[in-house]
Amino acid sequence: MTALTRFRLAGYARSHRAFQPLLLLFVVISLLYATGVPLGNELTSYADSAAILIPVFAWAARGLLDTEPDEQRMIARTAVGPAELVSGLVAALVCNAVLAGIAVVWPLVAGFQAVPGVATLVTGIGLHGLAVLAGTVLGALTSRTILPSPAISIVVLIGGYVAMLMVGSSSVWAAFPAMSWMHAANHGELAARLPVILVSAGIWVGAGLLGYAGLRRTRP
Amino acid sequence: MRVSDLCLRYRRNDPWVLAEVALDLPPGSVTEVVGPNGSGKSTLLRVLAGLLPPTRGTVTGRPAVVGYAPERFPAAQPFTVAGYLRHLAAIRRADPEAVEEWTSRLGMEHLLGQRLSDLSKGSAHKVGLAQALLCRPGLLILDEPFAGLDSAARAEVALTVDAIAAQGGIVVASDHQGDLRALPNVTRYEVKDARVRPIATETAEPLLNLSVRLPLSRAGLLAAQLRAEGHEPLLSQDDQVGADTRTPEAAE
Repeated sequence: MTALTRFRLAGYARSHRAFQPLLLLFVVISLLYATGVPLGNELTSYADSAAILIPVFAWAARGLLDTEPDEQRMIARTAVGPAELVSGLVAALVCNAVLAGIAVVWPLVAGFQAVPGVATLVTGIGLHGLAVLAGTVLGALTSRTILPSPAISIVVLIGGYVAMLMVGSSSVWAAFPAMSWMHAANHGELAARLPVILVSAGIWVGAGLLGYAGLRRTRP
Repeated sequence: MRVSDLCLRYRRNDPWVLAEVALDLPPGSVTEVVGPNGSGKSTLLRVLAGLLPPTRGTVTGRPAVVGYAPERFPAAQPFTVAGYLRHLAAIRRADPEAVEEWTSRLGMEHLLGQRLSDLSKGSAHKVGLAQALLCRPGLLILDEPFAGLDSAARAEVALTVDAIAAQGGIVVASDHQGDLRALPNVTRYEVKDARVRPIATETAEPLLNLSVRLPLSRAGLLAAQLRAEGHEPLLSQDDQVGADTRTPEAAE
């Protein structure tokens, strides 16, 4: 499976599709940190950055999975069996981890007035990790294997993200809790609410992965 | 490998693509699947390869190592031929030397440095066949394997199919060109109206020995072509050749 993951990452990098979400990421974080972040607001900025970047991660995951032609995906499936599905998700996670790394490091260089404490850094990295998981699942669910029409796919990707924010503003359990962690961070309650947010995020990511695996069963 | 009561349709309420299919594919068998365009041949091959789950019925006894060559090789990939085949060998945990072996056997050494997207249809098809053969498959699924191939590659593919079957492998291929028909013991099925029916084989004819004298340098190619057509060439060299200084053409 490692060799297949490497093959897919190589194909994605060489196809130049990787530049599209990378450029969008630079635009978003440039705007986010353009005016600087006052001392003490670093965690709020990280929380906002993680939530805002979910569609970027979804776009990257969708692009990576769609780079491989359908027939090549079938060849891969005969070679490694169901691990083909896992390999695609791992490749998308690796790609998104790189993007998330840039998003976490960028404000340390240009944005924060001082390097925040370890607790803030770890929480910021964790929130971006949750965003990577959510984005990867959303990207997989809107990839060509599931939604063959590019127009419908991009509408579902953006619509799914907007619905997640709108529905998620009512309750931490109603949708993937990106809205909840932004709200909690802005009100200084993130540490207290983090366990609930983690459980909710785990449930929604798990449900999304199960849905993707179920749909892929009849879509080789 | 056995297919029992297999039915398949892509969506609920859609017409059946395959219905009540029953096949017995023993080790060492070569099966040719024919039928009109759009009759479900490729779908049947994908079910046999494990790519599509049947809506009803079962496929049991599928060998662990499956080689699959699709009808159209996906050439729109950012790799050279050598790079692509090396990646596929690693994915299939095949011996890296298998890449050289199959590129040589299919006559495509000169293509190794070319980008996949620059290949002609026939050359791309060879790459598709090579990746399926790298892993020494127990089940080889070939969707129109002879389309666009030159005569030497066609003969080599037919020989390879025969060799895999001789080693106990199972080969299933759709073949509009009819190149597999010359192989001995090929079972033929027709896919039509969602049904898969066996096609009766021709009745046996009396056998005849035919001798051909030709230069030694041309014997290998002719023997390969004859084997590909299902014949059994017996090679023997004239005893006087070593002592005779005449050229083979003159000896004829």
